[in-house]
Amino acid sequence: MKPRLGTGPVGTAALGFPGEQSSTGFTALMKRAVMLLMSALREIFDESAYVRFLKRRHMVSSREAYSAFSREYEATTARRPKCC
Amino acid sequence: MSTPLRILIWLLVALLGTLALATVALRRGEQINAMWLVVAAICTYALGYRFYSRFVAAKVLALDAQRATPAERMENGRDFVPTNKWVVFGHHFAAIAGPGPLVGPVLAAQFGYLPGTIWILAGAVFGGCIQDFVILLFSVRRDGKSLTEMAREEVGRLGGLVAYVAVISIIVILLGVCALVVVNALKASPWGTFTIAMTMPIALLMGVYLRRLRPGKVLETSALGFALVMLAIWGGQWVSQTPSVARWFTLTAPVLAILIIVYGFAASALPVWLLLAPRDYLSTFVKLGTIALLALGIVALRPILHMPALTRFIDGSGPVFAGNVFPFAFITIACGAISGFHSLISSGTTPKLIRCETEARMVGYGAMMAESMVAIMAMIAACVLQPGIYFAINSPAGIVGAAPEAAAATISGWGFPVTAAEMHSLSQTVGEQTLYNRTGGAPAFAVGMAHIFSNSLGGQALMAIWYHFAIMFEALFILTVLDAGTRVGRFMVQDALAHVWKPLGRTSWYPSVLATSALIVGAWGYFLWQGVKDPLGGINSLWPLFGIANQLLATVALCVATTIVVKMGRARYAAVTLFPLVWLVAVTFTASWHKIFDPNPRIGFLAHAAQLAFSPGTNIRLIFNDRLDAFVSGTLIVMVGLILIESAVEWVRVLSGRKQARVKESPFVATQFATEEQE
Repeated sequence: MKPRLGTGPVGTAALGFPGEQSSTGFTALMKRAVMLLMSALREIFDESAYVRFLKRRHMVSSREAYSAFSREYEATTARRPKCC
Repeated sequence: MSTPLRILIWLLVALLGTLALATVALRRGEQINAMWLVVAAICTYALGYRFYSRFVAAKVLALDAQRATPAERMENGRDFVPTNKWVVFGHHFAAIAGPGPLVGPVLAAQFGYLPGTIWILAGAVFGGCIQDFVILLFSVRRDGKSLTEMAREEVGRLGGLVAYVAVISIIVILLGVCALVVVNALKASPWGTFTIAMTMPIALLMGVYLRRLRPGKVLETSALGFALVMLAIWGGQWVSQTPSVARWFTLTAPVLAILIIVYGFAASALPVWLLLAPRDYLSTFVKLGTIALLALGIVALRPILHMPALTRFIDGSGPVFAGNVFPFAFITIACGAISGFHSLISSGTTPKLIRCETEARMVGYGAMMAESMVAIMAMIAACVLQPGIYFAINSPAGIVGAAPEAAAATISGWGFPVTAAEMHSLSQTVGEQTLYNRTGGAPAFAVGMAHIFSNSLGGQALMAIWYHFAIMFEALFILTVLDAGTRVGRFMVQDALAHVWKPLGRTSWYPSVLATSALIVGAWGYFLWQGVKDPLGGINSLWPLFGIANQLLATVALCVATTIVVKMGRARYAAVTLFPLVWLVAVTFTASWHKIFDPNPRIGFLAHAAQLAFSPGTNIRLIFNDRLDAFVSGTLIVMVGLILIESAVEWVRVLSGRKQARVKESPFVATQFATEEQE
């Protein structure tokens, strides 16, 4: 079995909630909602894609790494239609 | 939760929804609160999602949580990434939410709030949400294939070709119309023009910041860009009040059109990281924030709708655009109810992110419900305006007259009182020179939105800032669609030209990049120029053309979907996609017929061309434009007719046993993910 989704590092498509076990009730719910919102925003704004790129290429964030990511992503993002 | 309690809750939702819908539909002669529309919408969506989409998921599509999705099977950390369903939902919604659901309902409000609202709700629940959901699921089961590929494989070669041509056509028409909306919003508006002009250097700055100073920090860069845009809005007020500076930004429609065409070409040919990507991020940031803010504003203000449920213009004599409520209300609403363009997104990035088949329901059906809710908010923003003001803003000079007094008298004569003094005062309040003849929907939406915002936050003193914030939001939104669409169109043309001569398909070969960019920009630029030169404001001709093209693409998507449902051996449930297909065929074919052959020159392109031909001193170009529009409508209809026939033949062959029912799905592979979180 692959690991359950939801245990990956923050900033990737999978969600991780490190302090989830220690909080309860409303606080945990709010924490989860905020984490979820941030994950969605990171995915929408391609930050997660950049983190995955760094991981895949075994690189650390730098100008060169981001340039390489931009070049790779140009091929896909620029072909994405924006809806009307 | 116990079963009786659940039943009780859903009964209450149904009762509340019925009450709200009855109030919306049956109240006559008295104004209603916008919250009735909100409640009717929320209850309708809740019931549609809980019962109808669940039925479709279980009986028609037989979603299988045990079946591995392409995101799992083909995971590469790049295109195929198993992603949390809420994250995919946000991603999908950000991709499908465009200017259509904001502009369409504002234009359709000329019939009153009722026809548009009913179509937004019914069209979404039974049409748009189903199309997005079904196409998404079918793409997931085919390794994330595009609509064009699925059409070719499941319907036939002709289906693939028609889908390709329909996509290119809709992109060209859409971009021309969107650009026209921006031109009409910015003409003679130094404040708005300055703000939008400033978004270009801001985007360039963001591009450099993102690449040189803070690589990868997109959210931070977008927040910074947003702060600069707000500063530009504030600065725009100073520009508009300083005559020596204002004259530089007070531009006529033709000048704005040329500038937008030049911008479209530059955005298509420049490196993505420099202009397109940062603008895209900035636009998405503003879009998500503003939609949330508008929803909060409506709930906080709970405004009264001043527009009646039905206006006299359901007879087809409307000043905003001509044509009867059927079929033109259904064409005009466009993306708020059903949008063929969504099928491109549902068979694009999203299917490669879905981690479990069952999540396609929430993402596909759910995100379209959210989009439809945006359309309801736009309808509310238009209908909170006094009808006289709404018509003064949205009516072209060719219908109501160019002089303020004449326009006010004409509109008051229709039974929607408005005075020139009232319009002058409103223009002053929002910081514009005039609000007459601002066709296209964007200025009316901006005034409605500013009214809601200023009454919820900041009072009348901030009305001008909110108005220009709304204009900036719409223009930014539309220009992003414009530059992304031009690029997508360019790639599609390059892909096609590669079959003729390979180097033409190379996206790194500059002669090809420049030539194909010029081709696409020239195509939508022509429609834009045509709209700018149209004495009836352009929207009257071009928005219905866009609506027809968009709904025809939805027809193609539903043809593909129905064919797959039949081939899956579930023909007894084919009505789920067949019903919206039949409705769309009725609407689009009727609308096209009217647009081409209607004897009323305000509706029929050919009748208008004939009228112009008999008028002394007519510009021959206007006659050509009418004939071109008629030709485009006719071509689209013929192509969709062909795919309809090809699909129907396929259904008959499968149902009569002459052809084996076999779908071209990827083979079943069991998921390796633990399923405890799955539905």
